[in-house]
Order: sequence, then structure tokens, then C-alpha cells
Amino acid sequence: MDARLISAVASSSVLRTVLKLSGRGATAAPGLLAEYIDPNSLRKLGNYFDRSILVTGTNGKTTTSRILGTILKEASISYVHNRAGSNLLRGLIGTLVENLSIFRVEKKIPLLEVDEPTLLAATDSLDPQVIVFNNLFRDQLDRYGEVDKIRKIWHKSLLQIPPTTTLVLNSDDHSVAHLASETKASVVYFGMEDTSLSIGKLPHASDFTSCINCGSQLRFETVYLSHLGKYKCSTCGLKRPQPDIYAKKVNLDEEKGFTADIATPKGSFEAKVALPGLFSVYNTLAAISAALVLGINLATIKRGLQRTQAAFGRSEKLEFEGKRIYIALIKNPSGFNEILRVLALIKKDKYVLLAINDLIADGRDVSWLWDVDIESLTDDPKVKRIWSTGLRAYDMALRLKYASGELAPEISTDIEASFEEALIQTPKGGTLYILPTYTAMLALKSILAKKNFSENFWED
Amino acid sequence: MRDKQKDKIQLARLNIGWLYPRQMSTYGDRGNILTIWRRAAWRGIKTTVREIGLKEKVDPIRFDIYFFGGGQDQAQRSVSEDLQKYKRDDLRKAARLGAVFLGICGGYQLMGHYYQPFNEPQLPGLGLLDVVTVASNDRMIGNIVIELNSKLDAHLEKSIVGFENHSGKTYLGKKSIPLGNIVVGYGNNGEDRTEGAVQENCFGCYLHGPVLPKNPHFADFLIKKALKRKYRDINIDPLDDTLELSSHNSAIARARETR
Repeated sequence: MDARLISAVASSSVLRTVLKLSGRGATAAPGLLAEYIDPNSLRKLGNYFDRSILVTGTNGKTTTSRILGTILKEASISYVHNRAGSNLLRGLIGTLVENLSIFRVEKKIPLLEVDEPTLLAATDSLDPQVIVFNNLFRDQLDRYGEVDKIRKIWHKSLLQIPPTTTLVLNSDDHSVAHLASETKASVVYFGMEDTSLSIGKLPHASDFTSCINCGSQLRFETVYLSHLGKYKCSTCGLKRPQPDIYAKKVNLDEEKGFTADIATPKGSFEAKVALPGLFSVYNTLAAISAALVLGINLATIKRGLQRTQAAFGRSEKLEFEGKRIYIALIKNPSGFNEILRVLALIKKDKYVLLAINDLIADGRDVSWLWDVDIESLTDDPKVKRIWSTGLRAYDMALRLKYASGELAPEISTDIEASFEEALIQTPKGGTLYILPTYTAMLALKSILAKKNFSENFWED
Repeated sequence: MRDKQKDKIQLARLNIGWLYPRQMSTYGDRGNILTIWRRAAWRGIKTTVREIGLKEKVDPIRFDIYFFGGGQDQAQRSVSEDLQKYKRDDLRKAARLGAVFLGICGGYQLMGHYYQPFNEPQLPGLGLLDVVTVASNDRMIGNIVIELNSKLDAHLEKSIVGFENHSGKTYLGKKSIPLGNIVVGYGNNGEDRTEGAVQENCFGCYLHGPVLPKNPHFADFLIKKALKRKYRDINIDPLDDTLELSSHNSAIARARETR
């Protein structure tokens, strides 16, 4: 270990201890300090670990990593994970510093979720054995400008990747599948093979609907969600690659989870996973694919899937005084649409709290609420009450007003007050569905902590 | 007299042409269409919305309002080519006949003479607005509040709030007037404190948000303009805009806090 890295690690560890003592989560700030002292720290730190697994994509990074982590645990493979949602460069460094052990004989695998534009820095410094690409949707356009820029950054980050790295790509997302076109890395595709889940036509919030190769409009035979589906280009002949790992006979069971037949090159099995919605099927397929690349057998994978639980705020279910609370993070139109699809499956009465903030981590622009097909909520006779809260409570309420339906939400910018009220108004035995943006979710996390929920406060 | 007015409204129709919904629709701008549609419907005015895609020709007398949203750079190029090839003359004719145009961001830029990207050929626009846009390295992103140009309608509520996200810098020529002056934000080019452009019934600006739901006075202003060219002395009733105005005011407060 060179002097600069030692200094970076030492100061970073001190800061981490201080932060922990003051009762705060501590990954990003110490990482930032280490990055400041030694800009090459990620590369150097990587030498003390096994080859990493990187997970990126607009939606599903946390859940995919969590599923994969559970499988790794089941396979007795030791790994470290950036659980605090610290997926920028400083978070990756912080995670490795936190778990550094220079005397250990067996090296751990860093399982890192990586913020989309951070992938370039991550692949530059680490030699990943697997990179998982889930999907690419419009998201926080105030930060990135436009979604095609992310695709170009990904593309660039793959140019130098050797064949010893395997890319796990979503074959149903054209922008992701097309990453295979100019890389020397090995490629494994995952996708959906169940036309009964098709929504027929492209929803409004679809991003990559023209051929990246030639610019023509793609033809979609099947649409699963956003621009994900079975597509082809009639001009240049490009088509969706056949997935190596895929799901058939998918049965979505309200907010409880799903079952599906999973086909892989190593054989098929029936998976039962306690994560709801079609997006969870995609996350599961991504995790299975990565596990297979690591050489984990199907029996172990299956056990891992059975043990998987939702991450905080990601389709998480809680119980409180005979009432259920379901929290599902919403970040962008595609994610919001899919959560609404889960809600539409539910036949019970629904009480819904929408919590919209516009801080940097949420995206400062709330225009995206108008790209969401919120009508499925306002048209649903089972939705009994809606509360709109957060810094942008009025924007959300206005979106609801201009949707169909008569149900007017109750509005309060105070998240805690709104949550308390919604919880009181939700009858015993009923469920309160909370859909928060990122910082609204963090706010709820501390509100719930005060009520002694979520014991694993800093775990996630 | 009042009944006559009511009859007129009942018979009134508003036809909206939505330009390139597939290519130019990434920032929630479809909320503008929804707003025109709902606010017309709440007053008993029948509205049709027709999507106009690539390679389609436009009948210049068919639509009362055209909406042209923003998209990604790559889409901007194919849309510019399509405009020149299939739509330019008919859309210019529609504008001459008094149709209302609302262009946001990329759509605004293409309502002007051209968009000049870095090291690439110019993308020609429709020339409905006397503006040109040049690519820059400045990212003009954030909440924006403007004060509406008093030449438009002296009685109109002045402030308009939205969210801007562009790097193109737009400069106005003599034939267009600014939609308004900057109160908070960057506006057309971050230099001259103007935002948007107006020429006859053509309106362009950088305001996402989307702009119409949170600024109901501006939405009604456009609806009235579109109706008046067809029905002359028609009037529209006010609506209960309590929620719209709360949203308007809270967005302005956020804009002041965040800039």
C-alpha cells in the first residue's frame, strides 16, 4: 500500500467513525475524502478485492444487487455491497475503504450498484468480472440533460473492456442490448418470453423507439413496459437478440410477488419471489444471469430467490397496529407506471399517499409527473383516498386533477403530518400504499424509525 | 344574449395538432395538451387531438392549435429534416391563417429560423418566429419565473413559472417580441434577460413544468386566441382555478428558494 492510499484510507476511516458516533450513515462522505486525498484510490483499493460485479441501469439497481447478494450468501461467497445507496464514485470508494482488510487471504467480491454516468469511472478503475445493465429510461433530466447521453457514456465505458468480462444485458431494452455491438466483452442476454404480459402498444413514456443503428422507427411485436419488448427494425434488419435466460408463464400476484418458469442454458426451474411487479421479474432475471456467470448452480440460485426480501422502500411491506404499509420508491415515469400497474392488480380497497420532493436527489424538475399514466389510479374504484405531500404536493395534485376521475387528493406539504393523517384514515386491516420520491422516502424512513419500524436502519 | 353565447360555446370546436409526439415529448410537455383539452371540455367545448408524426402531411386549415414539444438532440435532427420535407409550407400557411402555435424548448427552437449545433450543419426550422438558436456549453437548468410581456394583454396575470433545461441559446430578431422578462432563471440565452418569443399567434418558450397547467391564465389566453379566430366574439367562462393557483404560487416560491 503506498503512502497516499494509506493516508486516504486512514483519514477516511476516522471520518467514518466520527459520523457513525454522531449517529449518521457514513459511506459517501468518507469516500469523498479518500477520493480527494488519492484520486486513484478506487483503482488501488480494487487490488485488495476479488474482481467486482457492477450493476447499473435506471431502475432496479438496488433490488437486483439485493437479489444477487442473497444468492451469493446462499452460495457462501463473501462479498461487500454499497448498501447505503452510495452509488457515485465516492460511495464506491467509501464501501471499499470500509471493508478493507489487507491481511485477509480470501478476497471478497465487491458487489456494487453504480449510478449510470459513474460507470465510466468504475470500469476505468476496477476490472469487473460482470457488469449488469438493467434498462435505460428518462430519469432526472435536470442532471443528465438527456437519456441518450447516458447510453453514449455506457458505450464509451465498454470500449476497453476485455473478453474476460461478461456483460449481462436486457435483450428487451434496445438501448441496453445494443451495447453488445462494439465491445470485446462476453455477453449474456436476459429477457421476457410471455406475450400474455404485453400491454399492446408503447406507452407515452417510452424512450428508445427508433433504431440506434439506422434511425428508423422500430416495430414492436410485444411491449412489456416502456420501450421494453420484442422489437425489430424493418429498415436495417436489426432485431431483439434471443435471450439466454428468460421467464415464461409469469404470474404476478398483487403486491405479494410473482412466480415464473425460468429457462437457462443450465436447465429450467420454477421461481417464486416475494417481490411484486413485472420490473421485479426483470431484476430477478438479471440477478440469475449474473449468478450463472459466476458459476453458481441452479439449486443455490433458487434458494437465494426464495430468501430474497425487499430493500427499504423498494416495494417494502410493513405492519403497524393492524394496518399494512407498502412503500414503493418512484423516481421516473417508467418506474411510476410500473408501480401503478402493481396497484391496479390489487383488488382490495386502496389508500394512497404520494410524496413528491424536488431536491437534487429526486430531480429538481417535476415535469415528469405528466409523463406518468396516472389515470390508472384515478380511474380505479378501489382507490378510496389519496393524499398528496412533499415539497411538490401541489404539482402532484394538479396532475391528478387533469387526469380522469373525480377523486381529489388531500394536500399538505408536510410529509410527517400527511403520513400521520393517512395512517389514521386507513382502516384496520387495510393497506396504505406510499409512493415517495427518493428524499421523501428518506424522510419517511426517519418518521418510521421514530415509530420503531425498520430496525435494520443503516443496513440498506 | 347570454344564451346565445352559451349556444356558441356548445357548438364550438377546438382541433389540436400535436407535432411529433413520439420524437418530441420527453419532458412532460404533453401536460400542455391535456390542459387545453380539459379546460376546453370543462366549458363544454369539444376538442379533438390528432398526433402528427414523421412523414405525415398537414392540412393547413384543419387545426386551431399546434403543439410542438421538446426532444433529444438526435430526434431534433430527424424532425428538422421531416419538417423541411413534408410540413414546412403547410405549417407556415396555417400560421398565416391565424392558427395558434405553442412550441416548447426543442419545438420552440425549430419554430425559429434554425438551430446551429456544434461542428455540424445547421438544422433549419419553420421560420414562424424570428429567432435563431446556437448550441453552447452552458447548461441552463432550473426553475424559471418570467413576467409576461405587457404588449400581449395588459389585463393578464403577469407571472409565468416553469422549469428550463437547455444549452441552446436563442436570440430574437426584430419581428418577434419576447414572451416575457426573466424574474428567476436564465431564459433565452442567459444574457439579455428575455425569455420566449411571440409573433402573431405563434408562441415559443423554454418553460417545461409543464407550463400550461400551472399557469392557467396563459392556457386560457391561448384557448381564447384559438377560438376567436374562428368564432370572433366568443367568450369563455372562468373556471375554479384554486388548485392551479396554489400550484402556481408554490412553484414560484420553490423557484425563489432554489435559485
